[in-house]
Amino acid sequence: MPGVTIKGLTKRYGDVAALEGLDLRVEPGELVSLLGPSGCGKTTTLRLVAGFLQPEAGEIWVGDRCLSSPTSVIPPERRRMAMIFQSYALWPHMTVAQNIAYGLRLKPGVPKAARETRVKEMLKVVQLDGYGSRYPGELSGGQQQRVAVARALVVEPEILLLDEPLSNLDANLREEMRFEIRRLHETFAITTLYVTHDQAEAMVISDRVAVLHRGRVVQVGTAEDLFQRPRTRFVAEFIGKTNLVDAVAAEPGVVTRGALRLRVAVTGLKPGAPVVVSIRPHEIRLVARGQPPSPDPNVLAGVVQRASYLGDAVDYQVRVNGSDVALRVTAPPPAVFRSGETVTLALAPEACVPLTEAETP
Amino acid sequence: MTVWLTAALALVVLMALPLGWLGYMSVSSETGATLAHYRAVFTDPHLQKALWNTVVLAFWVGLASLAIGAPMAWLTARTDLPGKRLVRALILASFVTPPFLGAFAWVMLAGPNAGLLNKLYRSVTGAADPLLNVFTMPGLIFVVSIYTFPYVFIMIANTLELIASDLEEAASILGASRVRVALTVTLPMVLPAILSGFILAVLQALALFGSPAILALPAGFHTITTQIWALFQYPPKVEMAAAFSVPLFLATALLLLVQKQLLGRRGYAAIGGKSGQRRQIPLGPWRPPALAGCLGVMACSIFLPYGILAKAAFARAWAQPLTVENVTLGNFALTFGHSATRSAIVNTLELGIMTACVGAGLAALVAYVVNRKLIPGHQLLTFLALAPVVIPGVVLAVALFLAYTRPPLVLYGSLWILFVAYLTKEMPVGYSQSDATFRGVHPELEDAGRILGAGRLRVLGEITAPLARSGIIATWCFVFIGVIRELSASIILFTPNTKVISVVIFDLKEEGEFGAIAVLGLFMLGMTFAAVGVMQTLLGRDVMGAKD
Amino acid sequence: MNRHLVSVLALTLVVAALPASAQDARVEAARKEGKVVWYTSLALSSSEKVAKLFEAAYPGVGVEVHRTGSQRILQRVMQELQANLKLVDVIHTSDAGHFVLLKDKKLLLKYTPAGVDVFPPGFKERDGYYYGLRATVNVIAYNSKIISAAEAPRTWKDLLDPKWKGRLVTAHPGYSGVIATHVLALVHLYGWDYWKQLAQNRLMLVQSAVDPSGVVASGERPVAVNGGDYTFYQTKKKGNPVEIVYPKEGVPLVISPSAIAAGAPHPNAAKLFTDFTFSKEVQQVLADTEGLYTGHPEVTYPTDKPKLGDLRLLPADPDELEKRNEEIKKRFVEFFGA
Repeated sequence: MPGVTIKGLTKRYGDVAALEGLDLRVEPGELVSLLGPSGCGKTTTLRLVAGFLQPEAGEIWVGDRCLSSPTSVIPPERRRMAMIFQSYALWPHMTVAQNIAYGLRLKPGVPKAARETRVKEMLKVVQLDGYGSRYPGELSGGQQQRVAVARALVVEPEILLLDEPLSNLDANLREEMRFEIRRLHETFAITTLYVTHDQAEAMVISDRVAVLHRGRVVQVGTAEDLFQRPRTRFVAEFIGKTNLVDAVAAEPGVVTRGALRLRVAVTGLKPGAPVVVSIRPHEIRLVARGQPPSPDPNVLAGVVQRASYLGDAVDYQVRVNGSDVALRVTAPPPAVFRSGETVTLALAPEACVPLTEAETP
Repeated sequence: MTVWLTAALALVVLMALPLGWLGYMSVSSETGATLAHYRAVFTDPHLQKALWNTVVLAFWVGLASLAIGAPMAWLTARTDLPGKRLVRALILASFVTPPFLGAFAWVMLAGPNAGLLNKLYRSVTGAADPLLNVFTMPGLIFVVSIYTFPYVFIMIANTLELIASDLEEAASILGASRVRVALTVTLPMVLPAILSGFILAVLQALALFGSPAILALPAGFHTITTQIWALFQYPPKVEMAAAFSVPLFLATALLLLVQKQLLGRRGYAAIGGKSGQRRQIPLGPWRPPALAGCLGVMACSIFLPYGILAKAAFARAWAQPLTVENVTLGNFALTFGHSATRSAIVNTLELGIMTACVGAGLAALVAYVVNRKLIPGHQLLTFLALAPVVIPGVVLAVALFLAYTRPPLVLYGSLWILFVAYLTKEMPVGYSQSDATFRGVHPELEDAGRILGAGRLRVLGEITAPLARSGIIATWCFVFIGVIRELSASIILFTPNTKVISVVIFDLKEEGEFGAIAVLGLFMLGMTFAAVGVMQTLLGRDVMGAKD
Repeated sequence: MNRHLVSVLALTLVVAALPASAQDARVEAARKEGKVVWYTSLALSSSEKVAKLFEAAYPGVGVEVHRTGSQRILQRVMQELQANLKLVDVIHTSDAGHFVLLKDKKLLLKYTPAGVDVFPPGFKERDGYYYGLRATVNVIAYNSKIISAAEAPRTWKDLLDPKWKGRLVTAHPGYSGVIATHVLALVHLYGWDYWKQLAQNRLMLVQSAVDPSGVVASGERPVAVNGGDYTFYQTKKKGNPVEIVYPKEGVPLVISPSAIAAGAPHPNAAKLFTDFTFSKEVQQVLADTEGLYTGHPEVTYPTDKPKLGDLRLLPADPDELEKRNEEIKKRFVEFFGA
């Protein structure tokens, strides 16, 4: 099972650069998501890996074969990959079984009997046993999607590519299918690239997530890495909700904004340099009056501006006293504070994450 | 790559060469370049009159087509009119009926003395004067309009289908009557389609040759098309014909440009949000009259003309009542017995099939290349494929005559010049249909095949072709139907041994052989409807766009 | 039917009677060529009949009949020549002027059909390039169901009467040689003013000289101001209520020449066909069933038609027809609009 190495990939359409020097490494058997808003270049990347597009610069390696470069592109049919499309792309004039068998027919050394067996097995795996003679037009969206999955997996590809395969499903089905896809990945362990704009989906499915912004990879890491330690403003805002405070580094381990002082768990900041600090709303604790003070070194007093009851959480906006900063806080229910009440906020230094990279314009 | 390039080159040659000659001839003379021909064209009182007649004809046909087509479109697309399928089918029949056949039929119906309708009127009322005289400008306008209104109908009906009825319901709830809703809400939304339909009808009227030749000439007036044809009679004044053709071509181009602007602004199409359900407006007590009105129109374009054609085909003397002794199959024997007719039928079928095959093939190729953006500059291909719609048939014929009656390529005298004319003329229709076909085949269907190991050609054969097949066959049918009824170019380019059915019918008109005309006319209609039948089965929906 | 059989038999005899070797050689050559291409302005049914007779007499040599109006035939011939196409073998129209033109341009083959020396002078061209195949006269015709014999017009001048407004039909000199001859003849009689006045009666315009008979028979317009008398004769014979008037001022005589094209692709078949059409038998067929006059002195005519000798004929000068062709067409269009 080979891995995928993308080096300095650049793709331009006229004057517009869809990708600008993109680097990424997918280890053998790993599932990496390409996550980002529309227009960030993730589908372009996928199509370049598949061989449908030719790069202006950079290379794509699978194992020890260079498959794409500005001078030559191995055509899609010889790249030993499989792809699941956003529209599923099931051929309406063929039955489900014929759809699934298509790739097998093109593989040398798979006689008819073996083909049929494998198709049947795959139908079982995706829980569509007995649907072989139906036509795609007769199936529901979810069933069509599973046929697409079966069609891709049955050829035992070296690399599996998925282009937002869940975006056409309704919310409940989407959640269910996330886990299903993760399960399939763990069963078959194929090196996979998964494109999505849904960060929750990426976090559930992937081994690692690559966040794309304007044609570049801005951060790669596990879900936890990205969530706990975002490196740029964009990543911090894209993954989960966050509070961003523009501050200035003071003594080692301290940042200030006006009268506001926060202890951070990072020491190497240059004094006087501007720094953006990301604080996740659920890592801020609310201390009620009369309660014992928290052991956290960051203690702020503030006034509740609004409180919204969401059922499984309460969302507060608190204005910090003596500062222009308003922080969003997510607390477990019940809602004990009301608008206008004074409240104490406590945060651990680890919760205040300075973003290490300046935003590229 | 070379395949695509040769296709592009073929298109360029088809279009550019003849037009070049047209322009050149219109200013050429023995003493060098001159504007004398243009001067002659614009100062000669006869030619001026022809110009004026054409403008009058086109304008009134546009209005009349609108007056007929728009209400019918609204009734079928928006209300609970009964018998919609029947009405649609009849409008389709109108659409494919060659207008010159309709003109013949109406000569037999409304000739001031022998016309059947007039005879009926006179016997009932005892009047001496006829009720209708088809050999007049109003008569010509009428006959052209009843075969042109389907263009307006299609344009407006398709637009209405796209508009959600929520907008109209909002008005109804506020108390507006059905008519008021139609006038104040629906009408403005379909205005671009209405104007566009008007222009289409005008364009059709400008380019027609057969109907004016049949109805205007006996009444003593010309239109541009008949005048150009007359200029080709011996001794031919080819330079004048060229000079007269150029303004017609420019007028057509201008109108099409305007039409494109109107539609390009997406005046129609979904106005935001989900296009909701379309609920029908109840007509209530107006249902029977509305249906009667629609059927009345169809009587004029289908029932009466087809009826009289059938009568003339089977009667010894068409103007006499259909008694037992008047019935005969002799007309059939006579018509199909003429060697000229038989060879014309063979020519028509040969040309029809050849043009349809090459045309559909070329159109499919170009449409595929454009849809998959296979070569740079594919927009140019689209433009070239659609460009011939700008050239009226007569003008195209003049241009082709000029281009191909001299070395290096002398096609005149063979079927090839007709083939080139038909191919050029039908390319826009063929391309539009092919384009729509390939739009319906998602590119991801092909990508899916490729990533699973199929090469480009295999994908084309196993995935694209089966899915595009019915669309391409429909393209074939469209082109075929267009070819067999073509008259305005054929009448200039034919030679005695390369006649086609439409030309033979026209010849027979000059002899007054109504029986033979009717027989050939019915034959032509038979072929047309057979092709339409094939198309409907394949496309699974109305040729004009409404889903079954 | 019987007459037809007799004609065929007679023809076969004629064919058999000709000098064996010369005839055989020519027939053989014609068979090799396979067909003769005939551009003819003779009414379609008549042309087809002649063609079928020929094909019956000479199996293996087909006749390709292309029938259209005289002016169109000339246009075709000239157009084909311009494109260097050699398609036509035998050219036959009703406009003598055409043949002056064609001969001048050296487009005709010099050929004298067998037995034509006994024809009257009007049917022969002095240099031997073309000969009169048939003749007809322009007449007035009316629908006897609608117009009584008493009301019917008797002279060309009668047609100018305003009472005929909207009731007349004319064919077109721009299409038909018969009509071009007629127009010129009346210009000789009464000048162009005649036509100018006639136009005020709002005539219906048709193209071919054959067409007015259909118009009159159907009653669409009850009176035809011109047209070949043979077509009216045929229509009347079919049982239609058509009557012919031979005006006293004179009837324009139209002798329709036939010639072989200089570049004829099937010259032997063309010569064979030409001989055939000028033979007594075929000329008799033209007279009997088609109502035509011919130049053959031995042909007998039906008794219900006036003899040529009894009519006051207005002959046409071919040279004048050729010279004034443009003028005729132009002024006609000027008065009648199209």
